Amino acid sequence: MITRHSYYNTYTWLSSPSHRTSASGAMAPILPICSRCLHHLHNKPTTFTTYRTLSTASAITPAPPIHQTTTSVPPIARFPPTQPPSHKPPEYRKTQLHRQYTSLLRSAPLLLLFQHNNLKATEWMAIRRELHSALLATDESLNTSYASHIKFQAIQAGIFESALLVAEHYDPSSNNNASTPHPTDPSTSSSAQIPNHLPSPQDPTLTHSLSHHAYTTAHPHKKTHPLRPLLSGPLATLSFPTLSPPHIRTTLSILSPKAPTFPAPLRRTNPGYWDATTQGGLQKLLLLGARVEGRVFDMERIRWVGGLEGMEGLRGELVGILGSVGMGVTGALEGVGRGLWMTVEGRRGMLEEEEKGKGGE
Amino acid sequence: MITKHITEVTTRFNPFKKPSKTCRVFLAYLPANARTTMKINTTVLPRDSPEPSFLKLKFKDGKEMQLDTEKLKINDLEEEVDRHSRTLNRKADLEG
Repeated sequence: MITRHSYYNTYTWLSSPSHRTSASGAMAPILPICSRCLHHLHNKPTTFTTYRTLSTASAITPAPPIHQTTTSVPPIARFPPTQPPSHKPPEYRKTQLHRQYTSLLRSAPLLLLFQHNNLKATEWMAIRRELHSALLATDESLNTSYASHIKFQAIQAGIFESALLVAEHYDPSSNNNASTPHPTDPSTSSSAQIPNHLPSPQDPTLTHSLSHHAYTTAHPHKKTHPLRPLLSGPLATLSFPTLSPPHIRTTLSILSPKAPTFPAPLRRTNPGYWDATTQGGLQKLLLLGARVEGRVFDMERIRWVGGLEGMEGLRGELVGILGSVGMGVTGALEGVGRGLWMTVEGRRGMLEEEEKGKGGE
Repeated sequence: MITKHITEVTTRFNPFKKPSKTCRVFLAYLPANARTTMKINTTVLPRDSPEPSFLKLKFKDGKEMQLDTEKLKINDLEEEVDRHSRTLNRKADLEG
């Protein structure tokens, strides 16, 4: 269209001088159009432009993907995927603590529970310092790096109890009734409100540990958990990233020493431990129990775990047992041959003696 | 709770039983410098121990108080201890 217009304009501009010259003489045409354009205007079908536009549009729009023809696209979610609606308002500190404790309980195989009776900040600091330095020494001797991941923190007992129930009795993967509407279903039109996209905490398809579903699943077990009597008063947890008996032994010898297996560090080698602040803090710490891979242990059982030799010790023990078995088998197999040899030798000796006797006579 | 007249605390409890809460909360009520002003003996029993929990207190005037923590809650315990501590307070005030 643009080219045609420009051509037309050029023509009119060129023809205008002749128009001006002939204005005095014969009548000039009012709208001078070239014959080619006139021909086009007369013979052009009226729907030409519209038709071309339509054909272009159908060529550009892609066909819908295959999966959209079998399952419909659900309406857009009204909350960010990282912030699904929770049972408790997410901006509260207790909600975030619940998240933190659930994650801790799911990830840590060993949790020691302590009661802390009015420890001062300096005492906490001294205890953490001593614990960390002792664990670093253990790490060096074992060539591991757990010391920085072993954390000693005060917890809120009530929230911890709730988090414990959710961590133990609620499995998010078990709840997979998310809606996959069929395209022929009239309720799946784009204006339909599919339940899992409504920002409501009661929605059964929300599976995170702060959801209402997690709460209703875990709540009935509240009265029966064996760790429940422990979860009152001022509590602190010591969490381990792995179940390593040498580290447990070091921790117990610092926090709750008992002479033969868990001796306290010597005053000469470790004067910081015998500092008044550290000792004052340690007197106020009480080891109550532990949670080891989902099971509840008391102080004695934890001492038993700490007294284990670890993988190195167990390997040594196994080698010893296998060695003694081998010795026994060799002995048993040898015994038959040796017995036979003894009998044959004895018999030969007897025969020789008999021959000697005969020769002598 | 008035703790300044207490000179000795002896307690024994099994933390896996519910009545132990009274003893544990009592220990938490003692002030941060309690270990310098009084003697505190705590025994934590193993999980399957049938022994009942108990709490024994000694005061400055020599009175000994044995408290049955199996029945008493922490509020009742506080009341019992404060009743004697208040009389000691009064005595100290009168002596000037």
